[in-house]
Amino acid sequence: MIDIQGLSKHFDKVVAVDGISFKVNKGEVFGLLGENGAGKTTTLRMLATMLTPTSGTAKMAGFDIINEPEKVRGSIGILFGGESGLYDRLTAEENIAYFGELNDMDRNRIKERIKELAKVFNMEDYLSRRAGKLSKGMRQKVAFARAIIHDPDIMLLDEPTSGLDVSAIRDVHEFIKRCKSEGKTVIFSSHSMDEVEKLCDRVGVIHKGRLVATGTLDEIKSQYGDSDLENIFIRLVGGKSES
Amino acid sequence: MNLKHVWIVFKKEVKDIIRDRRTIITSILVPMILIPLLNILVGGNVEKLNRDITENITVALSESSNTEEIRNLVKNEVIKDYPNISLIEVDDPIEAIKESKVRVVLDFEEDYLTKLNEGKPFVIKLLYDKSQTKSEGSLGFIWDAIDNFNRKIVERRLDTYGISKDILTPAVIEESNIADEKESAGSILAMIFPILIVILMSSAGIAPATDLVAGEKERNTFEPLLTTKPSRLSLLVGKYLTVTLFSFITVIATMVGVIIGYVINPSSFSMGSGTNITGFSIPPVALLLVIIISITLGMTFSALQIAFSTYAKSFKEAQTYLSFLMIAVMIPGYATMFMQPKEIPVYMFFVPVLNALSAFKTVFGYSIDYTYLFYTLGSSVVYVIISLWLTASLFTKEKFLFRS
Repeated sequence: MIDIQGLSKHFDKVVAVDGISFKVNKGEVFGLLGENGAGKTTTLRMLATMLTPTSGTAKMAGFDIINEPEKVRGSIGILFGGESGLYDRLTAEENIAYFGELNDMDRNRIKERIKELAKVFNMEDYLSRRAGKLSKGMRQKVAFARAIIHDPDIMLLDEPTSGLDVSAIRDVHEFIKRCKSEGKTVIFSSHSMDEVEKLCDRVGVIHKGRLVATGTLDEIKSQYGDSDLENIFIRLVGGKSES
Repeated sequence: MNLKHVWIVFKKEVKDIIRDRRTIITSILVPMILIPLLNILVGGNVEKLNRDITENITVALSESSNTEEIRNLVKNEVIKDYPNISLIEVDDPIEAIKESKVRVVLDFEEDYLTKLNEGKPFVIKLLYDKSQTKSEGSLGFIWDAIDNFNRKIVERRLDTYGISKDILTPAVIEESNIADEKESAGSILAMIFPILIVILMSSAGIAPATDLVAGEKERNTFEPLLTTKPSRLSLLVGKYLTVTLFSFITVIATMVGVIIGYVINPSSFSMGSGTNITGFSIPPVALLLVIIISITLGMTFSALQIAFSTYAKSFKEAQTYLSFLMIAVMIPGYATMFMQPKEIPVYMFFVPVLNALSAFKTVFGYSIDYTYLFYTLGSSVVYVIISLWLTASLFTKEKFLFRS
């Protein structure tokens, strides 16, 4: 479903991502583990066609990120961490519908899908309320619905739990599980070992733009002879935090 | 670029801005209400001041001059032909000027009567307060009345010698204004309208342009938007059309405000200049060219505003850049405010901003030359293309889009 081949990104003289390659199979949840500044966000931005790779490419749901960016964007949903990024003056429903329209869905399908998603995320009571008047938790659910309104095959989540409280983190985890149960392929970046262990089928550890380890959790643990993912991570990144 | 995507973005942005009460108040309601209000207040005040200066001019005599004889002289000889000037009695003449009860105090020389009878000049001192507009403004009328009195006395004297009063006037001046009423009115319009249109065009798009790109970046809605199907060009054009639309709405609202002000009080429009603006009679083709040039100007500014908003890291930074843009436009506007339409050099019809200012000046000043108007139109279209190209390059370059 996702095939990344030698992907690199340079910002002037800074090498943010340095020739990474890996594959994610359909229906898999792949965790991209790394410290701040390791290259996780840049990688996800390249996969979402927001940034053009300096070299290498990737195939997303069979479409090339360089030659078929529009088709790639039609096949992905994204959720970025921190603020949910909604249009405050639009209602929750209008926020979700806007992304449906932008992804070429017809009106009836958008309506049906919003109804479905409102039920799934318990949003029925506040669909017609302006996003600016919603609580943080409500806004997050609207952002979930917006990300999957067009039923994308692939979900890209960039540190989706960063800055959230415990119950909001739980909602995100539920959302990822839901995506998996619907057969979506998910890449999500994180620097939380617990989160990765809890949710991912396979992980990739990224450090200074390079992929330093990849495999299932068991594979990595047996390869490094340690059952504690955190210890392995510290060994891989050299034990020093980059700040 | 996909037109369907452009339409979706445009529709959403318009809906979003319409719901922003702040933008609607500042860009539509304020110009529609504030301009007529200011026009009426300022124009009305100037008019009232003019009326006050010319009407009800009160004069008094200084304590030493306040005799029955002088009172009669002033009443029957000096101000007799001036119904707007009246002589009043006050206890303290100087204090009366300060308290605005009296505009000017006349102080006659002690032996004025002897001198008058002997045919010698005598002095009338005019005491006034320069810090009071009405006192200073009335001085001219008193001068005029005393001049008139002098002429009457001289004529009487000449009469006793049997000499015709024509001897006093070897040359008679006759002046004739060759500018028709339209041109006189036009010179006021040519001064006010061009700068008004250009400043409005450069400022009207600031709020939506800031909100639509820098605002989106700050609110974290921009990244999700960039990962939807539409190309960046489609997103840009949708946003660009929204900014352009709101620029025009603001300009139209302002013009409506100006017209309302004019309808309520036509004389307030000339700001007390004395010129009567009786109506607009610009040829339809010239008016059409003014509208098209205004549209191209608005399109150029909208593109530049989006470019700055794209380049800015934050909402505040975008506002700062756009304020500078507005100041950059005001400088040529004010610099050429008093330039006469007929004096505009040809090169000005090709320079950005100056070209539109010059074209508007010639049209509103009734000195229309279609060649020059087409120079402006041609150069304006080139500037629209350049500004759009610049904005599209910025908007599609990740270096600027994700500047942090």
